[in-house]
Amino acid sequence: MAKAKVKFADVNVTVTVPVGTRIIEISEKVGSYIAYNCREGDCGQCMFAVVEGAQNLSKPSELERATLLQQYREIIDGWRSLDSAEAIAAAMKRDNLGGRECRLACQTQVFGDSVVAPL
Amino acid sequence: MSVAAAVTERIHWIGALDPGMRTFDVILKTPSGTTYNSYCVRGSEGVAIIDTVKLECADQFFARLQQFADYGEIRAIVLNHLEPDHSGCLPELLRRAPQAKLYVSESAQLMLKALVKQDGLAFVPVTTGDSVSLGDRTLRFLHTPYLHWPDTQCTYVPEERVLFSGDVFGCHFCDRRMFNDAVGDFRFAFEYYFHHIMRPFKRHVLDALALIEPLDLAAIAPSHGPILRDRPRDYVARYRELATPRLKRETDNGDRTLIVFYISSYGNTRRMAEAICDGAAEVPGLRLSLYDLEGSPVEPLVDLVEEADAILIGSPTINGDAVKPVWDLLSSFAGIHVKGKVAGAFGSFGWSGEAVRMIEDRLRGLKMRVPVAGVKVKLIPAREEILACRDFGRQVGEFLIGRQVTREIDFSELVSAA
Repeated sequence: MAKAKVKFADVNVTVTVPVGTRIIEISEKVGSYIAYNCREGDCGQCMFAVVEGAQNLSKPSELERATLLQQYREIIDGWRSLDSAEAIAAAMKRDNLGGRECRLACQTQVFGDSVVAPL
Repeated sequence: MSVAAAVTERIHWIGALDPGMRTFDVILKTPSGTTYNSYCVRGSEGVAIIDTVKLECADQFFARLQQFADYGEIRAIVLNHLEPDHSGCLPELLRRAPQAKLYVSESAQLMLKALVKQDGLAFVPVTTGDSVSLGDRTLRFLHTPYLHWPDTQCTYVPEERVLFSGDVFGCHFCDRRMFNDAVGDFRFAFEYYFHHIMRPFKRHVLDALALIEPLDLAAIAPSHGPILRDRPRDYVARYRELATPRLKRETDNGDRTLIVFYISSYGNTRRMAEAICDGAAEVPGLRLSLYDLEGSPVEPLVDLVEEADAILIGSPTINGDAVKPVWDLLSSFAGIHVKGKVAGAFGSFGWSGEAVRMIEDRLRGLKMRVPVAGVKVKLIPAREEILACRDFGRQVGEFLIGRQVTREIDFSELVSAA
């Protein structure tokens, strides 16, 4: 069976997995701090950042794209609701997604080598 | 059946008494029954109904509603929380007042559709900052999710200085005198309710308090139990006290907390626990505790886990399973917030040794993080096995302070038995 390597950058663990394995099946077991909730692509809690190898992951479905859009909106609304420049700067620094590809761990399948991390 | 009803001149209680209720939602005991509180708010341009009651109590609810309003006057229906004991009479109320607009929180939308399976159900999602005018009275919404469902919200009427808080500040206590200065001693019910309903959501309680504390409050009108019109701020302060972590308040030197629990029949799992502690003690910045599960009832240990950063659990394997005191501890985690805490398992066994794997699966099921695979030892730990235990303790400790070692593993190591 074809294999691929996924590195979870927050815990420094690289796992060799059968091609097609979903990120969530691995992340929970290695203790990576990718949160999750509904496991159905609906809640957006398991959003994570692809550090390297985005082209080696499954393409997002319409469902995943819609949930990601909702999550981005919520993050931006969260910044908007802060009332000081310092708080906004700190929040943007914390979850600045600029240049990072984000995906849902419950939906994304591994097809080749990649490096992933929690947001 | 007379029940004290006037919260203010414009706000009346139109809920239901359920003195016979003894077990609520499987998990709660209710020695004095409960009330389902619903309220009628009168403005110059219409009436709002805040929450309904359990379907079985519909007669009480509609009879009381009719004393204070005609169905044709109802302009707004607000559900602060969708649980059936508050939404049970919604379909019938909408049938009697078809012109009324229904207001729910944004996160209530999907749940509402699953709860009221009715085509064409119209509603308006609202959040903090949104308001609805009843002429000379206003409904202002506060987004206070996860207290204790994702959908929960509060509604405030600034002209009356009354907060309709949903289950927050509520309790199961049935007394027809209805007001906190008139009813019997309900302190136990108030605290018990917090501990069983709000406790897993303490962080969300603190978020909600940040919205509630600035409000000018003449009364808090919760959805169960007495209406808090005498010193309402005391209850807000009590919630803040109950929701604030204690250990960090008392002694915060920045240490991360690791608790090692074990139970042992012949001292082997105990020896492992001690070695694990020795290993973890090599890591700086940890507050380490070691507890024998045989020495304590479960509740105080759950209190410790609630504020710990990491826990390790050691169990022997007896008849192919971890032992009951371990499951008793693990089954009590549902009442606290453990998601994201670091955890692990270890234990000695004589025959097949399933306990460690089963505990790990349960920890993961609770959404705890299990970064280091557990240690199993057949019967008496030999010198190198004691060293493996020390290593395990040190690795968990290092993970906890953010100093992890780089590892490369195969997926099969994660899915097959450790």
